[in-house]
Amino acid sequence: MAPTKTASQAKPRTASSQQSPVLTLWNAYNETTSTRLKTIDAFLVFLMLSGIIQFLYCILVTNFPFNAFLAGFSSCVGQFVLAASLRSQVNPANKNEFKEVSPERAFADFALGSIVLHFFVYNFLG
Amino acid sequence: MRFLRGLLLPLVALVGFACARSSTGDSVLVLLDPSLKRDNFSIFFGDLEKQGYKLTFRSPKEAEPQIIKDDVAQFAHVIVFSPNTKSYGADITPQSLVTLLNKNTNLILALSTKQTPLSSLAAEFSLILPPPGTPLISHFPQRDTPATVIPVEAPSVESVISPNLPPVWFSGVPQALGTNPLLVPLLRAPSQSFASDADSDSGADVVFEASEKGGEGLWAGKQLSLVTGFQALNNARATWVGGVEMFSDEYIKKEISKGKESGNRQFVRDVAAWTFQESQVLRIDSVEHHRVNETLPQEVYTTNDRVTYEAYISKFNPELDIWEPYSGIKDLQLEFTMLDPHIRTALLPSSEPGKYAVTFRVPDRHGVFKFVINHKRKGLTYLESSTVVPVVPPRHDGYPRFLSAAWPYYAGAFSTSGAFVLFVALWLAGDEREPKKGKGSKAE
Repeated sequence: MAPTKTASQAKPRTASSQQSPVLTLWNAYNETTSTRLKTIDAFLVFLMLSGIIQFLYCILVTNFPFNAFLAGFSSCVGQFVLAASLRSQVNPANKNEFKEVSPERAFADFALGSIVLHFFVYNFLG
Repeated sequence: MRFLRGLLLPLVALVGFACARSSTGDSVLVLLDPSLKRDNFSIFFGDLEKQGYKLTFRSPKEAEPQIIKDDVAQFAHVIVFSPNTKSYGADITPQSLVTLLNKNTNLILALSTKQTPLSSLAAEFSLILPPPGTPLISHFPQRDTPATVIPVEAPSVESVISPNLPPVWFSGVPQALGTNPLLVPLLRAPSQSFASDADSDSGADVVFEASEKGGEGLWAGKQLSLVTGFQALNNARATWVGGVEMFSDEYIKKEISKGKESGNRQFVRDVAAWTFQESQVLRIDSVEHHRVNETLPQEVYTTNDRVTYEAYISKFNPELDIWEPYSGIKDLQLEFTMLDPHIRTALLPSSEPGKYAVTFRVPDRHGVFKFVINHKRKGLTYLESSTVVPVVPPRHDGYPRFLSAAWPYYAGAFSTSGAFVLFVALWLAGDEREPKKGKGSKAE
């Protein structure tokens, strides 16, 4: 789908060339990314913010129950890694690299990996 | 139990009533020099016998009865009134007297201006005697006795000597005190007195010169002690008396001023009572320790436990011959030590008589700790107690869980899970709207 879409969006892109590059990037992202990838991206952004907040809290306030910090922070990091690999596997642009991995298979891997991750996180949290 | 004991003890005491006794035993050996007449000390010895002591007299040169037989001290107390004796029986040497002290036998030792084995022993007790033949002399106050017979004010020292005693007669040799902390000076020389080798005033120039030189070689004034107690670390007591005449009937009856008796009788009585461990004798009956709100001691304590320590202390009552609970110690301290005291706190008397208690938090440090009481005060029995307890860190499941400080981490973990579930729901729901429906149905 990507090639056809980018081709059709070529004209507005040139029209907005006077706009700031950030805005152009944002518009291009909005228009060229599928809903599923956007969902993954939103998830990734959420995980990143959550991880940053916990890390700052650890540095600035306390790392006292260090196991709790490790659990909370590594759940963010681990989930981020799993979600990022899901994204790269289901992205149609990478189809050539993951020929043998169907999106369903990728999602099943992701779900199983996440469940195992959360199992460990809750064991470690208390 | 404690209540029962409280009931029983006075009953037991009533049986032995009227015999005021020492806390360590009644048998007394008196080594009396043949030159001293026993009748001259009848009041002092009579008072002792009236109190229940069994006196055995022996000349220092005789061989029997032995003071130590088969390595066992034969008497609870020994009085050595032999100020002029130069040679003793085989069993009495300075070493054997020290051995007696180690065996918890109490000693009263009389010194004189003569050089005897006892004078060299005195040096081992940190008493520095003036050269032989230099008695204490004072020309004040004006009186008709010789200058060597001196009335001395006897203030109540360390609660050993009775308060408000009239002055006591003294004649003999003063002692300068070394730095030994075990010494308890019981009677100080008057300020105007000094030690001089001449009874007349012919030696006055020497004394005057010595004082001009800044006190070098000067034996004078309140720094000198006339009666000095010594309490060994095993609580045996030895008292050094500058002159045996203090105990004599003559000095006891001698009037201080017209119609006013001297304080000698009560003074020597008090000195003997302290030396024979009648007065100022304390002991720790028992110590207890347990966690707050518990009654039994723990085998091990955990760091940061709150622990209560209790000590029960008794004082010997010589009138009733019993140990009574004693709450009068105000400066008792408890230390909780591992090499160093990690905690040193006041151990104050509590509502129950004789009980001292304190509650404190065990330090955040694991190791082998000791509850230590180490109370050493002049004149009082030394109180020492040491109880070893291990302090361990919490067990693996003994730590506090789900702390409020960690809520951002908990929130992070839970929100990640929540977001994961939401994401999965969105993903699966979003699948329906995708153009390639075939794949979604295949996955199902």
